[in-house]
Amino acid sequence: MLTNYRFDWGPIWAARDLIASGLMMTIAVSLVALAISIVIGLIVGGGAASGSRPARVLAGLFVETMRNIPLLIHMYVWYMALAFLRLPAFTCAVLGLSLYSGAYVAEVVRTGIGAVRRDQFQAALATGLTRFQAMRLVVYPQALRMIAPSLASLFSQLIKDSSLASVIAVSELTYQAGAIDGQTFRTFEVYITISLLYLVLVTVASQLVMLLPGARSEASSARFVDA
Amino acid sequence: MPDVIIQNLPYLLRGLWTTIDLSLWTILGGTILGLVVGTIRFVRIPVLGTLCMLFIEFIRGTPLLVVLLITYFALPALLGYHTTAYKAALVGFVLFIGAYLAEDFRSGLRSVRPSLIQAGLATGLNRWQVLRFIVVPQAIRSVTPAVFNQYVRLVKFTSVASIIGVTELTGAGLLVNARQFHPVTILATIAVTYFVLCYALSLIGRALYARFAVKT
Repeated sequence: MLTNYRFDWGPIWAARDLIASGLMMTIAVSLVALAISIVIGLIVGGGAASGSRPARVLAGLFVETMRNIPLLIHMYVWYMALAFLRLPAFTCAVLGLSLYSGAYVAEVVRTGIGAVRRDQFQAALATGLTRFQAMRLVVYPQALRMIAPSLASLFSQLIKDSSLASVIAVSELTYQAGAIDGQTFRTFEVYITISLLYLVLVTVASQLVMLLPGARSEASSARFVDA
Repeated sequence: MPDVIIQNLPYLLRGLWTTIDLSLWTILGGTILGLVVGTIRFVRIPVLGTLCMLFIEFIRGTPLLVVLLITYFALPALLGYHTTAYKAALVGFVLFIGAYLAEDFRSGLRSVRPSLIQAGLATGLNRWQVLRFIVVPQAIRSVTPAVFNQYVRLVKFTSVASIIGVTELTGAGLLVNARQFHPVTILATIAVTYFVLCYALSLIGRALYARFAVKT
């Protein structure tokens, strides 16, 4: 089967600057979108897990709307439908990606908070902590411990989703790959190269999430039991 | 409905049909692939299991768009065959969603209590019968929510096929927009359509789960 294709990795190496700049752009888009989607996720997820009915309804509406519309449409909405705002392509990509991923983060945060037993919160209040302190010192640390694996997979999802920014002309990794392919016709080499780069990026990102303080506490509590 | 939608309704409906058609074939193909790969991973067949793991890791580390670019441009260039955008998208989607489904199925299979498997073996069933009559029926029930999540993801992901030139819903909408330029109306219509499709699908998933869930 692999008869006529001659591998030639030279042009890929020659275009390494383009690939590196695309990689940096992918990281930049992902990091900014990640930060915003965590803020959205904490607010909306906190609302969805709260006792107030209007907050729950609003949070539910936000999550269902954002999650059931494809990310590509999110990006086109900011880039084309709201073109009168004259936002730069980078901003459009970040906004689309953050709102879309933020809804997923919100769902994860909601289940995390819901999984912390209610009497923990009440016990914290009974010991004299304020509601905010009880959330910050008792509920969130336990919730984070439970949701860390889901967060890791969401963030790697976000990095991969950032490839769609290439369609609104953000010069990230996939966009640069298309450009290099157009110049060199080393189609197979270039796409395999960037998928391996994504693989590395995603692996590193999900490992980093697990390094969050408290994320790996199963291991530490096991050590505690051993001692 | 706005004029631009009414005028182009037949065209947009054909796009919608392509979206549904792509989704259904991918759900079928992806589920079969996921079941096969997930089961191979679960029963730990030596070499095949490792290959399946590499396949899953590669797909799960790669964006869908790049998978489609590989099935549309890179693989035909490498192996020297011709393909159409529709076929390449279908192959890409099946590989993509199949890898995610395989992991879901595997975790479903692993969620079955080992004591049940031992009990099955003790009553004289062979390994295949245990898998067929004890493990799979319970696993399917416990993975229903995760699997329907993947299906909903998939319906949304079919929009990416527009980038390699498939005129499904998004592609059709973008073409209409290129001709008549009503981005707000057209994108809103498309967004609402996807919302209805995806929400309906997730409701079906929830209903199935509620109906067939393992009562514990």
